[in-house]
Amino acid sequence: MEDDCRPLLGPDPTGESPSHRGSAGSLDIRTKRPFYVEPRNIVSDDPQERISAEAAILNSRVHYYSRLTGSSDTMLSPPNHVIPTAEEMYVYSPLGTAFKIPDSEQAVKNPSIVTIFAIWNTMMGTSILSIPWGIKQAGFTLGIIILIFTGLLMLYCCYIVIKSPKAIRGVDTSSWEFPDVCRFYFGKLGLWSSLVFSLVSLVGAMVVYWVLMSNFLYNTGQFIYSKFKHDRNVPFICPYPKTHPGRNDSMTSLCGSSSGNDSSGSSFDHYWSKTSTIPLYLIILLLPLLCFRSASFFARFTFFGTISVIYLIVLVTIKASHLGFHLEFHWFGPSQFYVPEFRLFFPQLTGVLTLAFFIHNCIITLMKSNKNQENNVRDLSLAYLLVGGTYMYVGVLIFAAFPSPPLSKDCIEPNFLDNFPSSDVMVFVARVCLLFQMITVYPLLGYLVRVQIMGQLFGNHYPGFIHILVLNILIVGAGVLMSMFYPNIGSIIRFSGAICGLALVFLLPALVHMFSLREQGRLTWQSAFFHSFLIVLGVANLMAQFFM
Amino acid sequence: MSSSAMKKKVLLMGKSGSGKTSMRSIIFANYIARDTRRLGATIDVEHSHVRFLGNLVLNLWDCGGQDTFMENYFTSQRDNIFRNVEVLIYVFDVESRELEKDMHYYQSCLEAILQNSPDAKVFCLVHKMDLVQEDQRDLIFKEREEDLKRLSRPLACTCFRTSIWDETLYKAWSSIVYQLIPNVQQLETNLRNFAQIIEADEVLLFERATFLVISHYQCKEQRDAHRFEKISNIIKQFKLSCSKLAASFQSMEVRNSNFAAFIDVFTSNTYVMVIMSDPSIPSAATLINIRNARKHFEKLERVDGPKHSLHMRMR
Repeated sequence: MEDDCRPLLGPDPTGESPSHRGSAGSLDIRTKRPFYVEPRNIVSDDPQERISAEAAILNSRVHYYSRLTGSSDTMLSPPNHVIPTAEEMYVYSPLGTAFKIPDSEQAVKNPSIVTIFAIWNTMMGTSILSIPWGIKQAGFTLGIIILIFTGLLMLYCCYIVIKSPKAIRGVDTSSWEFPDVCRFYFGKLGLWSSLVFSLVSLVGAMVVYWVLMSNFLYNTGQFIYSKFKHDRNVPFICPYPKTHPGRNDSMTSLCGSSSGNDSSGSSFDHYWSKTSTIPLYLIILLLPLLCFRSASFFARFTFFGTISVIYLIVLVTIKASHLGFHLEFHWFGPSQFYVPEFRLFFPQLTGVLTLAFFIHNCIITLMKSNKNQENNVRDLSLAYLLVGGTYMYVGVLIFAAFPSPPLSKDCIEPNFLDNFPSSDVMVFVARVCLLFQMITVYPLLGYLVRVQIMGQLFGNHYPGFIHILVLNILIVGAGVLMSMFYPNIGSIIRFSGAICGLALVFLLPALVHMFSLREQGRLTWQSAFFHSFLIVLGVANLMAQFFM
Repeated sequence: MSSSAMKKKVLLMGKSGSGKTSMRSIIFANYIARDTRRLGATIDVEHSHVRFLGNLVLNLWDCGGQDTFMENYFTSQRDNIFRNVEVLIYVFDVESRELEKDMHYYQSCLEAILQNSPDAKVFCLVHKMDLVQEDQRDLIFKEREEDLKRLSRPLACTCFRTSIWDETLYKAWSSIVYQLIPNVQQLETNLRNFAQIIEADEVLLFERATFLVISHYQCKEQRDAHRFEKISNIIKQFKLSCSKLAASFQSMEVRNSNFAAFIDVFTSNTYVMVIMSDPSIPSAATLINIRNARKHFEKLERVDGPKHSLHMRMR
């Protein structure tokens, strides 16, 4: 109302009166409120009503109620069931025309190919960098078998996750995600456990990101520096050469804390060190980004992830074609340059794959926008096939192309880009792309963590700057500590994968499925046995990580 | 002894979370600060010194259900709370799962009313009805109404079903106000005469603080059934804006080639809105008419004497 009697451009009077305290500022409210004109033609007797009476009075109420609370307060926001249906809603132009809102239901439906691509895009993460290492840890043949087997297992678990809301009768589950299903069956315990384990995967991913970002930033700096020193180009390097080929890989990263090649101890190496200084430089860049109130700005850059993965695939193909295949099959015993085909360290691969194939916390939402819902299972299977194929391609090619006569296969690093020297141009481009992609995804992950933690603890996504700052410092601190003292992303990935996989992939979906079958009276002995076996597999997966 | 020394109260009570604060905010146009969405109950009474229907003070209490601390505090303050009560408005959440408990607390409030202010009027609002499916609303409300009327004996309670998302809230509070005005039928007759004399299309009488329609007269069918609530919302928003400048709203004239509308202070408890569809009548004429009518209506309020007039009730 006041807009009508005040010039639209004018000095903003300080809204210091009590009626505007606590809100984001009176200027904020005013800029957000649309210009509104009561649509009835008040000059002539227009018999045709453009807007139904209910919609008009609801609009009046919503307008008034919005003045009574802060702009971000949802206390007096209209709930969904009172808002008129789309047929009754018009967008009114002050010049006289009225448009109906198009049926929003159609707008979000995607054809199958888009859904498949969205799932592939979401699942493709930084675990792709660890797949060659994982295959090496399990042995080439066993690694391929495990990759196929784990992919199928996780596909089945994903299938029972998307089936779970539909099995619930009597309640409208159209807006539910998997934590809501858990809450339905197991109460608060189910909700909290699914949220906590989902957070484990998110925080684990953020720590891995920090380690990788330090790594890529370091190598980028090294590349630029080495251009001045004209190092000779080797195709592959073994950054941490060891005397025993069969030794446990996770120990190597504790030795060799600075760059492997340039050992001059110059001041550049002193200030540009992968584990001592770069993690700290990143704090200056990323901590402010984490404190942004809204992450929608960063969501624009998700296409970078796709480009990075495609570039990685191209890079791997080119490198493999340059080097050719170096494969020798030693089945069980160790040898100087090769690893056995079947190794006892295979749980490390399963741990990595659990995180690599993980999408169970958001698959329901992704599938919701599929146009032909009856094809959901087929599309999910195709997506998993595509993801598995990509991982297999990258893993096998890197493993096979690794030049084994001079170097041992055991040298394959948890981040396979580490096996390339800093001066390699193609890999430099890959590192820069991935670095930029991670810088844009990191605040998104931080936002998801914040929303889930703050929403559950305080009921409010932004309870105060101090709360957010404390949370961000904790997360960043974890990343920095890991980067400085234990930057082995293979271990971080397999542990966080096994932990969150236990709950969200094996335990909760299997339990939910068994409960729903029992409610319908269709729980057979075979089914119960099989799903209990799934839970045992999940537990075994986690336990095995500790013994490696 | 004039009761202006001891203000009469309107008690707005109900379980924590039943919607009293939102209701109070909407009806009285008070801003709700963000931290009012609290995780616990109201620890103390929320006073709101609104001049509602004269000199009534609105008191808002959470009643029952939280913990022994609240129970004890409530019990020890009981006489204080329930003394000098003019109106008790009790809010029930229709979605509440603890019907027995709700009724129990309601009854204890009634007992306290019977002891301390036996002349108080009791109103029960069954709130949040928008959460019930439409075809079941009448049924559920009838059930509750029967229970409440039965439990309230010997006091008589009037029940309404309300929701902030439809017109029922505004209508319920308008009915409450209508029942609290002592000589309302006489007011209506006089209002009709007034309207006919000045040849107005429609004349409305609003309560001053809340712009709830007390009574109205219209000479022909109007299109918009929700116009009272819309006007009330518009004026309350305008009052909120005025309060930002520490100004108070007194009167308004809106005019175009088709009509002229006048909103002005009328008596000490009311505002009047006059709508003239003959734009040839000059504003000054209508304003003089309103001024003269004002004197007449004020006399009406005073003539009925201290026994009836709200702002001079003796206790």
